Amino acid sequence: MRRRSSGFSPQGQGGAEVKHAVALGQADSCSAIPRNQIEMFLVWKFRHLASRGLPARWQTATRAAAFRALIVVGSLLTMAVGCNRQQPSFEPNRVLAKRLELSESVPMEQATADVGQALEVLFGTPDTPKWPEFLDGEQPLISRERLARAGGAVSSDEEGRHFGLFREHCVSCHGTNGDGLGPTAALLNPYPRDFRLGKFKFKSTPIGSKPTRDDLKQLLLRGVVGTSMPSFSLLEDEDLEALTDYVIYLSIRGELERRLLNEAALELDFDGGERVFDEAAKESDPELYAEQMLHIQSQTQRIAKQWSEAESQVVAIEGPPAELPVGRWVDLRAAESINLSQMPDALEQSIARGKQLFQGNVASCAFCHGPEGAGDGQQNNYDEWTRDWTLGFDPRDPEALSPMLEEGALKPRNILPRNLRLGVFRGGSSPADLYRRIVFGIEGTPMPALPMKPDNPQGLTANQVWDIVNYLLNLSDDSLSTATTSDLEGSSQAKNG
Amino acid sequence: MADPTPDPKHIGDRSLATGYSALVHRLSVILTVAVFPLIWVGGLVTTYDAGMAVPDWPGTYGWNMFAYPASTWLFGPFDLLVEHSHRLLGTLAGLLSIALVVAAFRNDGRPWFRRWTLLLLLAVIAQGALGGARVLLDERTVAMIHGCTGPLFFAMAAATAVMSSRWWIERPAAEASSQTALGQNATGPFLCWLASSLLVASYLQLIVGAQLRHVTGSVPHSLFKGFVHMHLGLAGLVALIASGLLLTCIFNGGLPARVRRAVFLVFAAVLLQIALGIGTWIVNYALPWAELNAWLASYTISAKGYWESLVVTAHVATGALIISLSTVVALRAWRSRATSTQVPAN
Ligand code: HEC
Ligand code: HEC
Repeated sequence: MRRRSSGFSPQGQGGAEVKHAVALGQADSCSAIPRNQIEMFLVWKFRHLASRGLPARWQTATRAAAFRALIVVGSLLTMAVGCNRQQPSFEPNRVLAKRLELSESVPMEQATADVGQALEVLFGTPDTPKWPEFLDGEQPLISRERLARAGGAVSSDEEGRHFGLFREHCVSCHGTNGDGLGPTAALLNPYPRDFRLGKFKFKSTPIGSKPTRDDLKQLLLRGVVGTSMPSFSLLEDEDLEALTDYVIYLSIRGELERRLLNEAALELDFDGGERVFDEAAKESDPELYAEQMLHIQSQTQRIAKQWSEAESQVVAIEGPPAELPVGRWVDLRAAESINLSQMPDALEQSIARGKQLFQGNVASCAFCHGPEGAGDGQQNNYDEWTRDWTLGFDPRDPEALSPMLEEGALKPRNILPRNLRLGVFRGGSSPADLYRRIVFGIEGTPMPALPMKPDNPQGLTANQVWDIVNYLLNLSDDSLSTATTSDLEGSSQAKNG
Repeated sequence: MADPTPDPKHIGDRSLATGYSALVHRLSVILTVAVFPLIWVGGLVTTYDAGMAVPDWPGTYGWNMFAYPASTWLFGPFDLLVEHSHRLLGTLAGLLSIALVVAAFRNDGRPWFRRWTLLLLLAVIAQGALGGARVLLDERTVAMIHGCTGPLFFAMAAATAVMSSRWWIERPAAEASSQTALGQNATGPFLCWLASSLLVASYLQLIVGAQLRHVTGSVPHSLFKGFVHMHLGLAGLVALIASGLLLTCIFNGGLPARVRRAVFLVFAAVLLQIALGIGTWIVNYALPWAELNAWLASYTISAKGYWESLVVTAHVATGALIISLSTVVALRAWRSRATSTQVPAN
């Protein structure tokens, strides 16, 4: 505190406020003129001008572009005054609230504010994240110490330990509250993940289950190839653990928020004065407060339970039978020094069977991925992160979209079936990874789980899935050059299963 | 009639109060050369988020900055190494500036130049203080401002080197008179204005770039997108101006070699910078059309990776270099124009 009170003020006139704020320990240099006010003024001014000066057909087209330019210029100006600072806070799920407001015709303002309050009581703020005590079980899902390290502002100490990890490494894409609406999001493809739906793509558990801690950690180590999701393999192990905790924390927090908002819209009687949560009731009506709190707690526990159970839902993969070689055939050559020109018969046959299955009706992979796996099948689907807020209207309808985009939603994009001929797979390229992807599908995307025998008499057998794996691994145009020893490790791992 | 051209042979180090001082010039060149690594290391501080690797200022974990044991920072964590060496290099720039002021006041007779060196010293002090404020307030906005003013100081140092050079003081008149005697074109106003606009455009570009680099979670995605579009637009403008300069130099053989060489350098730097800019986007965010190309589809960004950090930091440093080089071009252009118009064409 002492060093802060030295109160150095970099910007002339704002200095007094800075000193004041610093003395209060907030170090908020922007209490005088929040940037938003200036922006809002510019926006208002521009709309005002636009609505008077321009012929109607010009307005919409020019507006968007000029509008953005104005915001940028406005921010540049305010930056020059040094007023860029905002205390980081968890923004409410405005997009969902808007969608509920429109589809259920209920006002959501009060509910959004109440839910925000409840969340702050349970989960704290970005600077001081909290973990509710009632979630402390025998096997704690999250450690408060790690949570504190991942949250807060960025710094590091004499031992080189980093703090504020989420803000350092993730916020620019995933956003402060994990909504996937970070500053860079609009320019990335695929969009960064919104953790608040609690759905994850690449994991060792089936669709509908949460990923395990290890799944998340492996994801951070590996990154998602071909996307903007980086690999964090250069970070310390304790950093990765802390970040894993933080992802789970944000996901649970976000999922709870969704549930409470949904409940508020669908079940509460607003006119009758019902509230999701009312902190003032703690004093005025302790009974009501306890009731509200109890309900919120039980909802939170339900979500947390799914995370605790993930470990037990991991499906072990039995490796392929001994007589069925699995992998890229160049690996086999390396492993068994076979002549390059003679692909071993067993593998060749397996690939041929795989191709048939791929194009067949049961797996129907070709329906989406195209007959040769080039990704040229069905093109007009949306993933669940988009469907979630476009529920009830056509995502291509600009009229219906615009109120949602104003709340910060990203322009809907079709989720395209992957081109499988590139020889790289985002969830990992080992045979075991591919086996999992095929059998479980990819959560949140149209890629379905495969019907399997014996549960489904029309389904495929495990061996048939390995045939498809072989087909995929040898599909890439240059699988010879891209195969590496790590693929080999992958295949032996699968065999050990 | 213009003054007769001073004969260089007659001018010793101190023979003319307004004349060339080798000491002043050398010091300012050394200062300029020393500031470039300072900018690199400063860039690394941000790339590695090491800005808060030392929580106090001007001390270092309670130590006097210079007494801080080398065993701790030289062989300690990388963040600490980067942040502490940035501070030490910054101090070096400060000391060199002080020496320059002293040398200028003793050896340079031009009053405006002496005042300029004082301004330079003030600038370096302010820059150091901003750096300190960034740490004390733990404020990323201050980090961004500090990052924007650093290259400004670099450009000021480069300007000092130009304005203290023998060429600045003695040559233009000589060159101009020989050019006009030969009936060649002197530096035209177009080139001068083009060079100045390059300076302005590239500095604006740097400010917009800093908005992208020092982005925080509270920036809405529409705003970031706006900045990206602006950065792309300005990149086009800078490239256009640099090409204009290059063409002027190619078609105007009469320009002084000093101007031409600086233009070639700045043009090369702009080309390099565009490549680094594309690289910076890829190593930070990947391209949104990864599947176009097998290499892109199989590239995984490595956060804090060696190449990733190198590309990004090089982009920052080259941005500063372009600003300094365009300062050099502009000053030389204006100077050779000013001195050549003093000599009437006959
Ligand atoms: C440069 C942008 C960027 C940064 C930085 C980034 N991510 Fe991501 N992240 C993405 C994108 C894009 C995806 C979506 C990938 C996909 O859908 O295939 C993603 C997906 C994820 C997923 C979901 C994976 C799944 O199986 O569904 C998790 C978890 C995740 N990121 C965590 C993190 C964490 C933790 C950090 C910081 C340590 C981080 N990300 C930093 C862009 C980023
Ligand atoms: C209804 C459409 C659909 C069907 C049917 C379908 N997929 Fe997909 N598949 C997709 C989409 C969409 C993606 C991209 C998901 C993403 O980007 O996250 C995908 C991705 C993949 C991937 C990439 C996984 C990774 O880690 O990168 C593989 C492999 C794959 N599919 C294989 C198959 C196979 C084999 C079948 C048949 C058993 C199949 N798919 C059936 C839509 C489909």
